Amino acid sequence: MTTTAPTATRAANASRWLRSNRGRFGLAAFFGFVLIYSLFAMETDDFFITIIRGLAVGAITFLVVSGLSLILGLMDVLNLAHGELYMLGAYVGWMIYVRPDTFLDLVTPIALALSGMALLPLWRRIASQWPSGKWLRIIVPVVAMVVGLVIIVFLFSKFPLSIWNPDVFTEAPTNDAVALDAGTQVVPEHAGFEGISPLLGLIGMWLGGAVLGFGIAAAVERKAEVAAPKPERSAFVISGAVALLAVVVLAVNNPLTEWWYGLGTTPRFFAAMLLTTVLAFGLGTFIEVVFIRPLYERLLYQIMMTLGLGFILLEAVRSVWGRPQFTMPKPAAFNGRGDGCPGEGFGDLFSGCGTIKLFGSRVRMYNEVFIILVGVVVLVVITLILKKSRLGMTIRAGVQDSEMVEALGINVRRVFTITFGLGVALAALGGVVAGPALGLSTGMGASVLLLALIAMAIGGLTSFPGAAAGAVIVGVMQQLMIRFGSVGIPIPGLAEPFKPSPALVPVSVILLMVVVLLVLPNGLFGREE
Amino acid sequence: MSTLLDVRDIHTYIGQFHILEGVSFSVQEGEIVALLGRNGAGKTTTLKSILGLTPPRTGDVEFGGEILRGRHSYDIAAMGIGFVPEHRAIFGALSVEENLRLAERSKGDLERKEELIFGLFPDLKRLINLPGTNLSGGQQQMLAVARALVPDNRLLLIDEPSEGLAPVLIEQMMEAIRQLSSESTVLLVEQNFIVASRLASRYVIVEEGVSVAAGDMADLVNDEATIRKYLGAA
Repeated sequence: MTTTAPTATRAANASRWLRSNRGRFGLAAFFGFVLIYSLFAMETDDFFITIIRGLAVGAITFLVVSGLSLILGLMDVLNLAHGELYMLGAYVGWMIYVRPDTFLDLVTPIALALSGMALLPLWRRIASQWPSGKWLRIIVPVVAMVVGLVIIVFLFSKFPLSIWNPDVFTEAPTNDAVALDAGTQVVPEHAGFEGISPLLGLIGMWLGGAVLGFGIAAAVERKAEVAAPKPERSAFVISGAVALLAVVVLAVNNPLTEWWYGLGTTPRFFAAMLLTTVLAFGLGTFIEVVFIRPLYERLLYQIMMTLGLGFILLEAVRSVWGRPQFTMPKPAAFNGRGDGCPGEGFGDLFSGCGTIKLFGSRVRMYNEVFIILVGVVVLVVITLILKKSRLGMTIRAGVQDSEMVEALGINVRRVFTITFGLGVALAALGGVVAGPALGLSTGMGASVLLLALIAMAIGGLTSFPGAAAGAVIVGVMQQLMIRFGSVGIPIPGLAEPFKPSPALVPVSVILLMVVVLLVLPNGLFGREE
Repeated sequence: MSTLLDVRDIHTYIGQFHILEGVSFSVQEGEIVALLGRNGAGKTTTLKSILGLTPPRTGDVEFGGEILRGRHSYDIAAMGIGFVPEHRAIFGALSVEENLRLAERSKGDLERKEELIFGLFPDLKRLINLPGTNLSGGQQQMLAVARALVPDNRLLLIDEPSEGLAPVLIEQMMEAIRQLSSESTVLLVEQNFIVASRLASRYVIVEEGVSVAAGDMADLVNDEATIRKYLGAA
């Protein structure tokens, strides 16, 4: 007698669980049907390689959509610039990878200007105590910002910078990529200061950054009612460290460039991955503080701001790198072509071959194995951060109610900034990782953003596991349709197998989203509103 | 007794709307003060204005001798103000422990306060690993109060603790508030006049964004005219 009651409730609970999840079961059955049908409709090795490629596309999409959905969930900001930030990541990664001399040349002026700006707390303190009339409060910030920008732009043209030129065929970036891949790359000539003494250039650049920073500070403090707090010592330490970095890099620029060019493609590629991710984190925090923060709770302005930012990034990349597509060489460790290649079976996974044969298909080490690996590592790391760390706990709480998090005494704005930086860093990492597989084009941002938005809708907008699931579903669906374009879908009652044209590939992904949203309006893992 | 909180003629706007049009009162160290008034009178906005979530446009809030103007909410909260919002705004995606952990201001706060918190709300100890969404309404309310107890707060702002609770749970909640008032000062928003009158030693009445009356709770209980005028039928 005593056991019947709990059993009955357990059964009731189970049936309630089944009922409330019936949409998910239905969709799981639908996905299962698509997979099994595809398995029978194409050769087994075709099917296998298509799924692997789908997972790789899913991994790239995941890197973009994870940041997008974290940012949307925590701050209610739909960052439409995310696709272009992915593209920027690819191009900057390409520069660090293929032309480290250009990168090193850029470090000094940019770091100096940033060092001047990094004293922002000090400038705010000064600006807030500045005795001035009303019109001065408007004039001073504008004048300071313009003067600072003019100094920076003028001196930037005087700084040594050896860079490609997309308008001249022999100096186009594509040549650098080809040369690196062929192993014939030579260290480009070092540039020098043009018509200005280095010391003047260095000091001037720092001052330019400082004046710009003062202008920003004065603009921020224009409406403040209380004086800004005294700057903490950390601001001075950071500013000094950045300035020191700038000078050191300038001093050792030539030997460092020689050494860097002497490295193999594999360390150069991993350096590019790491540096791009770190730089993108910095850029993301900058974007959040300067552009997004003033626009919280102003939805329309946010959309216009992020969209416009995307266009600016797109044009900036076009003007520096040019419009034509070019390649990013695969790192040597994933591109072995010599004896014993392609490898056979899982035993040759670490043989260094560019391709290995698995289940009768040729799997490319970089395009498929490495990219999927990066996706899995990021998924695990972000999941651990979200589940185990205090930052992750704050993010999960903030997704639900950021005002209440703040009421607990937590600086939620700082968490916003970190999360935005993290999201941008992941997108840029995605760009670098995608570069060698897909090549570089200025359209890559727009196409990945479309896939990411669809994946986000399928997954449930703000759910992190949903973002991962949505990205994989979108990637696999896209690759299946591409494959069916050549082998055709056998449909009972049709004499000829139906071959979806390339135009139907994006349509099929969108249709998939429609199906999911019809069954589950909040997406696979979405919260009910 | 010294003044812990002094609210001086604050005016708060939410968007275009002038919600608070002059609220003034003070809270002495160690007492329980009830903020009374009809629905929409501005009681919750008063709490949020103190905390800087809806910063007052004019007027000043002084807490522990410091003017709070221009400070961020997290900064104000970290000065020692705990907030128990209405509608039990706990974090559903977080477990009970994580909800409490998030409220820590320094590492080990939860361990130090464990005895107090689980003494007041023994249920929470049993539910420690459950996600917040799985708690019942009463358990969520207890968690919301417990969360404000994790750090050392000098002042607790409690918004509608009895709202939607079963009578037996209201009794338990009142007992908990009475006990925790020995640790910290309490400013209470309460629709239920009987609950408020049994807990608080003093009252402030807010009517259409203006503080219109204040005094000892013992006097208000016998002042039917005031009760009828500002709070409806007693």
